[in-house]
Amino acid sequence: MSEKKSGLMSRRFLLKVFGTGVAWLGISKLSPALAQVSGQSLELLPVVTGPEANPYWGSVGPFVVYPQKLPLIQLTDRPVQLETPRNYFLTPFTLNAAFYVRWHLDKIPNAVSLSDWRLFVEGNVEKPLTLSMSDLMSQFKPVSIAAVNQCSGNSRSRFQPRVPGGQWGNGAMGNALFTGVRLKDLLNAAGVKTGSSQVQFEGLDKGRGPAGKGSHSYLKSLGLSDPVIGETIVAYEMNGEPLPMLNGFPVRLVVPGKFATYWTKALTWIRVLTEPDINYWMAKAYCIPNTPRGNTTPKDVNEGKVEMIPIASMPVRSFIITPDGSGKIPEEMPVKVRGIAFSGYGRVVKVEFSWDGGKFWTKAEPGEDYGQYSFRTWETTWIPKRTGKYVLAVRATDEKGNIQPDEGVWNPGGYLWNKIERQEVFVGAAK
Amino acid sequence: MEKARCIMIGLLLVILSGTVFAESEIPGLIRSGQYSQGTLGSVNQPGQTQQSSDGVYSVGVYPLYTPELAQGEGREIIQIFCRFCHSTTYITMQPPLPAAIWEGVVNKMIDTYGAPISEDSARQIINYLRTYYTQTARKQ
Repeated sequence: MSEKKSGLMSRRFLLKVFGTGVAWLGISKLSPALAQVSGQSLELLPVVTGPEANPYWGSVGPFVVYPQKLPLIQLTDRPVQLETPRNYFLTPFTLNAAFYVRWHLDKIPNAVSLSDWRLFVEGNVEKPLTLSMSDLMSQFKPVSIAAVNQCSGNSRSRFQPRVPGGQWGNGAMGNALFTGVRLKDLLNAAGVKTGSSQVQFEGLDKGRGPAGKGSHSYLKSLGLSDPVIGETIVAYEMNGEPLPMLNGFPVRLVVPGKFATYWTKALTWIRVLTEPDINYWMAKAYCIPNTPRGNTTPKDVNEGKVEMIPIASMPVRSFIITPDGSGKIPEEMPVKVRGIAFSGYGRVVKVEFSWDGGKFWTKAEPGEDYGQYSFRTWETTWIPKRTGKYVLAVRATDEKGNIQPDEGVWNPGGYLWNKIERQEVFVGAAK
Repeated sequence: MEKARCIMIGLLLVILSGTVFAESEIPGLIRSGQYSQGTLGSVNQPGQTQQSSDGVYSVGVYPLYTPELAQGEGREIIQIFCRFCHSTTYITMQPPLPAAIWEGVVNKMIDTYGAPISEDSARQIINYLRTYYTQTARKQ
């Protein structure tokens, strides 16, 4: 690296200019200390991570384009699973076009005719209902709720040891203002008969497996005595627009505070049951250890020591969205650190920020409150006093007193991750 | 000949501008005007679809972006059975997994999801997965 800026043409110089087209001027000024000018490399991310934990904020798949969507991160293509990139979480409401996608079965709707589609309320009811989209909008009072939809397996790629399943980073979540009809209003209109225990939900998606197996139908149920029944809506709008096909057009269930497994997409059958639902998607899939935080070990699972129960509410989480480490911060510059927080157990009441990796915490400023089930944005101003590498951290506390732990979790499904999030940043000289 | 002259003039301009910039010594400017052919690829924008005022709401077909599976014995069997319900992205997406976990996954597909895979085929599928998609086999 000792080429002189002599103005004379050397063969190597010409090669640099015309051969590779890079680095032709001021080359003598290069020094190793300045080699890192950006966190974004010209190299590809690895296409897969492991056996260690995925160290990146999101999953490592390529950006792909799907109908009604901006480029999102691909996990799988059939059935479709797409992750929302980090930057879209700077706002409390996630764009429909950037909202993550997760289907279980291969035959998902490409086209739906609202002239023929009907929502059925059936099972153990006095008067089964058959409702068109128009009926839903005109015969019932519309209600709106801001609610976070998060995949049970969000952040699964953090697990150690790694577990099979969708290798999500942090972007299998989103927040939207959902508008629709109260589930309760539909159930009341149909008249739930005595002796009913659960309500089952089924969408238009079907799999190619044999009937009666989880590979054929995706069925989820909620207990009629669960208080969430009173909060649940059948949504026909998402952020004031029809739902994207990939997010469950024409209507989807919105179950505030609960993981997305219950938020049935393309909802078409609401079935009142007299017996607890023991289909695969309730009894085997989406089950967590009946332990604090749903935590266990591979050993206990293998020894058959772990009682499994259906997953339910989302533990408290918070995220740093910016700075994201893609650039350096000049020392003494007051930078905004921004992010989101939420909890399925109640309103987020405190968000704390740390610039020393979690030793010392300061309160961050909460953003607008859109209700207890929404993302709550937060921000704080941070003035790094010295150059060097910093580890930023954030933790949230909800109104029930749940605070994010600094330990990971392990269970065979890869569910319930809510460890304190960290972001490494470099502060450079400014004088 | 014309082409050669253009190149020579181009070269001369480059050298001259180099000299000028090098001599102007803008404080703090370390590098500028550097480009190289992109290595990360690009994504095409989708076109618009034709809409109509009837009751049909359509988004067309969903695109597949399925990476190639590792070449090797058992690959054809995988293509036949696994692709029935899902694309093989479900395999390539996974982190390197221990052989026992792969075996468990294949057995789950058969026992729980009802995949009609014979014992012999299942053994070939498991062998393939542990040959190419375990921690020792799967190197970046």
